[in-house]
Amino acid sequence: MNRGSKTIKYKTNNLNETTVENSILIAKEKIIVSLKPEKLNSADDDKIIDDLLPQKFGKAGKIWVGILLAFCMVGMFAYYRQLRYGLVVTSMRDYVSWGIYISNFVFFVAISLVGSLITAVFRLAGVKWGSPLTRIAEIIAVAAIIFASLIIIVDMGSPERFYNLFTHGRIQSPIIWDVIVITTYFFISILLLYYPLLPDIKILLRFKERSGVRLHKFYSFIGSFWKGTPEQFKLSDKAINILCVSIIPVAFTIHTVTSWLFATTYRPGWDSTNFGAYFIAGAFLVGAGAVVVAMYIFRKAYHLEKYITDNHFEKMGRVVVLLSLLYLYFNVNEFLTPFFKMKESEAAYLNGLFTGNFALVFWFAILAGMIVPILILLFKKGRKPLPVFIVGIMVVVGAWFKRYLIVTPTLLHPFLPMHDVPASYHHYFPSWEEWAITVGSLAGCMLIITLLARIFPIIPIQETLTEQHEIAEQNI
Amino acid sequence: MKLLNKISNGSLLILLILLSHSSFSQGTEKGDVSIAINYFINNNQVSYLVVKVKTKVDGRFKNVDGVALKLFLDKDSAGTFIAKVVTNKKGEATTTIPPSVEKQWHSQVKHTFLASFDGDKKYGPAKADLTVAKAKILIDAASDKTITATVFEKKDATWVPVKGVDVVLAIRRTAADLPINDKPTFTTDSTGKASGEFKRDHIPGDAKGNITLVAKIVDNDQYGNLVIEKSVPWGAKFTSVSTFNKRTLFATRNKAPVWLLFVVYSILIAVWGILVILVFNLFKIKKLGKSVAN
Repeated sequence: MNRGSKTIKYKTNNLNETTVENSILIAKEKIIVSLKPEKLNSADDDKIIDDLLPQKFGKAGKIWVGILLAFCMVGMFAYYRQLRYGLVVTSMRDYVSWGIYISNFVFFVAISLVGSLITAVFRLAGVKWGSPLTRIAEIIAVAAIIFASLIIIVDMGSPERFYNLFTHGRIQSPIIWDVIVITTYFFISILLLYYPLLPDIKILLRFKERSGVRLHKFYSFIGSFWKGTPEQFKLSDKAINILCVSIIPVAFTIHTVTSWLFATTYRPGWDSTNFGAYFIAGAFLVGAGAVVVAMYIFRKAYHLEKYITDNHFEKMGRVVVLLSLLYLYFNVNEFLTPFFKMKESEAAYLNGLFTGNFALVFWFAILAGMIVPILILLFKKGRKPLPVFIVGIMVVVGAWFKRYLIVTPTLLHPFLPMHDVPASYHHYFPSWEEWAITVGSLAGCMLIITLLARIFPIIPIQETLTEQHEIAEQNI
Repeated sequence: MKLLNKISNGSLLILLILLSHSSFSQGTEKGDVSIAINYFINNNQVSYLVVKVKTKVDGRFKNVDGVALKLFLDKDSAGTFIAKVVTNKKGEATTTIPPSVEKQWHSQVKHTFLASFDGDKKYGPAKADLTVAKAKILIDAASDKTITATVFEKKDATWVPVKGVDVVLAIRRTAADLPINDKPTFTTDSTGKASGEFKRDHIPGDAKGNITLVAKIVDNDQYGNLVIEKSVPWGAKFTSVSTFNKRTLFATRNKAPVWLLFVVYSILIAVWGILVILVFNLFKIKKLGKSVAN
């Protein structure tokens, strides 16, 4: 049963009886007939609403936003320099023409897939415990996909020619497919964030003094039309269900196409039929890792222990360990067979990863990003909030370096040997401008998440109320 | 103090000895280069020289680039100067025989090419010479697909057939020459002729089936390198099938494959159609909200 239908159950008891009857038909659940929300009094409701309403930034919040803004400003200055002097300010040259920006792009695309995992897959699979996490996942997805789009433009030497991609782009090119699916995924993610927000906006509009005039106007602009009628719920539920079904293939497509940017190119390490599934598995893992990190931080910052419980960390811990095992399996597939064959043309690339210049980063990504998380999360004690949070950080950091390893070592080991090029072309280490822009984009992504959490309830209020009423009903 | 003076004087002496040894050894560290001159004549018309310069490093020959060489015909004088050339990265330099030495060229039937290198900072001076006799090669292709090459040497004012010269009979292909049969070379008889049977039937030629036969003398001590070509219609007709201007994955945007266009636009229409419906859905919800408010 979707959340809109549940909301009807609750709301209709505060409206008129005729509407209740209609809503029961719409909701298609027998449980509605026996729902007795009076077990939960309005004081309890008010407490839940009070707990979950967006809160103003405290001192720590302001410092956090200030730090993120500072990183963004440095990143923007570095980008100004890149626009002013060209891509020569980066360390990218003829061979490594895709560097840290593209690694970061792949990372953002990967992390954005969490919206489809937590919201759509969990919803369609009837995973009810995941509902307090849906808003977090949707916000992360929207923020990540925005910065995936921006960072790819940053990678362009002449961003003012971006429109040429549309006027002269070839539909045969995976880059155009990527542009199409990223745009599509962005719109679906926005809609999937917006539709379930509508009932919450109605609640937010009741607290003008708390939200302030400007924010109240904003809420009014985006959702004052929501009255919570059964017809509106019916349309909203239908839309959310369609979005949940649509976002899954689009999410698979977005990251599969991103993997094809590499796999359709004949190069050591990229020439793989495993890449689509390998990227999807990695994306779900990093997305789940990001959600557990966000869960822990929001729970601590907004004192949401009652709503994001230890049980949520236990369950998400299980999800992360499953995804880590899956991603580890794909990594074994990806590296064991080439290692076994050790083709001469790929030997330098593989040795570079296993024992050469990239070995430290490679083994860190494998150990910190997969093996250690598996070892921690397999034990019940490891699935407590703090260990899960630490594992989440390891997974996200490991995943970022994993993307770097997918892009750069391959470009440094072309099939044809490098001839007549300066010595610097044989190596790649990002310039300070590249680091500043990359860190700035990561800070920007976190800033969007922070601001959205300031504007909207980080846990769906209406859905929580409905669930509490359901629990009260079950306890009778 | 005396001891200190002795030590400083001794140190100075050792330093001077080392420095003098160092500067002495720098003077003798110049490498040796070897020069090889190769003479070529294509289709009995254009003569040219290819000079190769090598040096030995750690027991291996290495091409030397940037070596300036002076080339002369028969003697080192201003009137017989052929050219000044500089070797490229392959250690090679090429020049044709210029019209300025035409008189000298026609004065005798044997010539000696001289190459001299004056030396530079890295390598010492070096010289080389090559003596060749004027020769020519002819090619004939009979209807029974027998190919005959005839080699002549100029003696006084006449061309006389030469016996015992190894000739390669081959078909010119893009990357290299393909022998006409399993035999790598053919030797001329007393009439100067060397014949071989063409056994490469069905080899692709051009659109009319033409292929190019080649008869060549390679690195001959007396005559150098001689090549002559002849076109014959013995190959299979080959019409190049070009995918240019066709609908392919690697074509321009307006030549995208139809199946790809169908798949991509179907998906786009389906997904974006749904998104448009969902946006309209929002307007419906808004309308419903307004009607309730009224």
